[in-house]
Amino acid sequence: MGMKWAALGSGRFYFWIMAMPAVLYVAAWRLAPAVYTLWLGLHQYNIVYDAAPRWNHLANFLQILRDGALRQSLGLSAQFAVIAMTAEVLIGLAAALFLDTDPPGRNLLLGVFLMPMIMAPVVVGTAWGTLFDRTVGYIPYVLRLLHGPQLQWMATPGTAMFALLVADAWEWAPLVTLLLFASLQAIPREHFEAARVDGASGWQLFRRIILPQITGMVLVAAGLRLMDAFLELDKVFVMTGGGPGSSTQFVSMFIYKQAFQFYELGYASAVITVLLAVLAVAYWFYLRSYYRTLEAANL
Amino acid sequence: MDVRSLVSGETEGDAGARALRASTGARRRSALAVRRARWHLAGIVALLAWTLPPFLYLVMLSIKPERILIDRSALFFVPTFERYRDFVASGLAAPIWTSLVTSTLGGLGTVVLAGLAAMTFRFLDFKAKTVLFLLILLPRMFPPVTTLIPIQLTLKALGLIDTKTALVILFIGFEIPLATWILHTFFADVPRELAESAALDGASLPAIVTKILLPLAGPGLLAAFILSFIFNWNEFLFPLIVTSFNARTGSVAIMSFTAGYKKLQWGALATLGVIMTIPVVLFVLAFRQSLVRGFTAGALKG
Repeated sequence: MGMKWAALGSGRFYFWIMAMPAVLYVAAWRLAPAVYTLWLGLHQYNIVYDAAPRWNHLANFLQILRDGALRQSLGLSAQFAVIAMTAEVLIGLAAALFLDTDPPGRNLLLGVFLMPMIMAPVVVGTAWGTLFDRTVGYIPYVLRLLHGPQLQWMATPGTAMFALLVADAWEWAPLVTLLLFASLQAIPREHFEAARVDGASGWQLFRRIILPQITGMVLVAAGLRLMDAFLELDKVFVMTGGGPGSSTQFVSMFIYKQAFQFYELGYASAVITVLLAVLAVAYWFYLRSYYRTLEAANL
Repeated sequence: MDVRSLVSGETEGDAGARALRASTGARRRSALAVRRARWHLAGIVALLAWTLPPFLYLVMLSIKPERILIDRSALFFVPTFERYRDFVASGLAAPIWTSLVTSTLGGLGTVVLAGLAAMTFRFLDFKAKTVLFLLILLPRMFPPVTTLIPIQLTLKALGLIDTKTALVILFIGFEIPLATWILHTFFADVPRELAESAALDGASLPAIVTKILLPLAGPGLLAAFILSFIFNWNEFLFPLIVTSFNARTGSVAIMSFTAGYKKLQWGALATLGVIMTIPVVLFVLAFRQSLVRGFTAGALKG
């Protein structure tokens, strides 16, 4: 590795300079703001009432402990993240296993299947919000034709949450498929043949041969989705706006409202700080299984 | 019957048995193939039935005449393209134009900065290299929401709220970590010796970059640009808080249809949704291979 470009002479210096714009840019627009958020979390700063941020003896963090609405938001986010992640892993795995059997037109199918995760989340929210709508949506309509229950999907807490989960699964199961398909393709085909000759059933094949090879990647995909779904915001904005009431007000929405509707920038920053701490712990666990997987798969 | 025929008779019997075995084997294999084909058909139908309806529904809604818009039993009708025709007049072209311009400029800025950095990290060893590389990748661990408040305050202080400039500034910064990582993996395919020997032969730095590195990294640069463009195009939260009217993007315009007085304009909403999706679909169809690679690298970096 240790290439020293003696030959480049002063060119070496210019090469080094080339990296600087990106480094400085990221430091200025990504890292500094994050640090400022941590600092602001220690201060009282309502942009309407306070002329400048003012140190308030950790009052924000005491308020976090007492804030029932925040606790509800965290609970809703956790519930949403766990259910969405589970659904996405199951659907994504099923699709990946299917694509791994080489159906005709496999690559085109994969491309079509990946489309939802590449389009704008607000459009995903729009499509599903409209599909579930009472006046133009097909889901209530088909249910009525089948004499099913007549629900006000977006106006009832439980069903609004369900609609968000369906939209999220539709959007992000493809990501799980993308990751698992790559590791399925990496399993040597001779393993399947050998197991088939030994008379293994489909389930045994999956359980004994496939699953051990992809467990690591399943965990990585699950971790990615868990952390992302926990912070879900875009689809909530267009589908429910956090309602009805506060029944789908996930934690990102809570922060958004604190900061940009109530102008409590200090308090919102403190909530973000706590969130970062929670995510850092999650991230640590995630990175552990991530590096193990990468080592094993040699990606 | 001579000895030969006796011998051959024996062989024929053998061959017959083998043929019999082979034919049952073939029958079993063809039965298996039929079952496999059925499975494949069922799987393809299931996959498309899961993915396509929301797309088809948006398209249908966008071309359904207004008077039968809520008549859901009307699946077949004479389509109207009025909404697409009126798109420009209705003032919805402006947000789409803003999205297009800012996403493109943001993507280009990202690729230039990230490309220069990725080249350095790949081909030059120097003190603090690891630290700087991690510094660039670090933001991927903070969710964007952590920078929301300071960024809004800063842009307000700079007087850039509700301008395209603000969006371009933000978009460049957002995707530098991702693009640097993707380009780093693409540059990993370029043999170091190529650049090294050119340097030893006395080639200047600009010559090495333009004659050797850029041509070889073309597909990577394209993938990084397209991915940056798509993420910028899809971005919602930051455009929402730093723009209001003059520089609102397509995704913010969609948002305005889901609340307030525009809430019931389903047709226009669907049209906007379709138009927002077209560039993304085109990119995916045209550059599937490099996008899949870029997405995998991007997702795995976390």
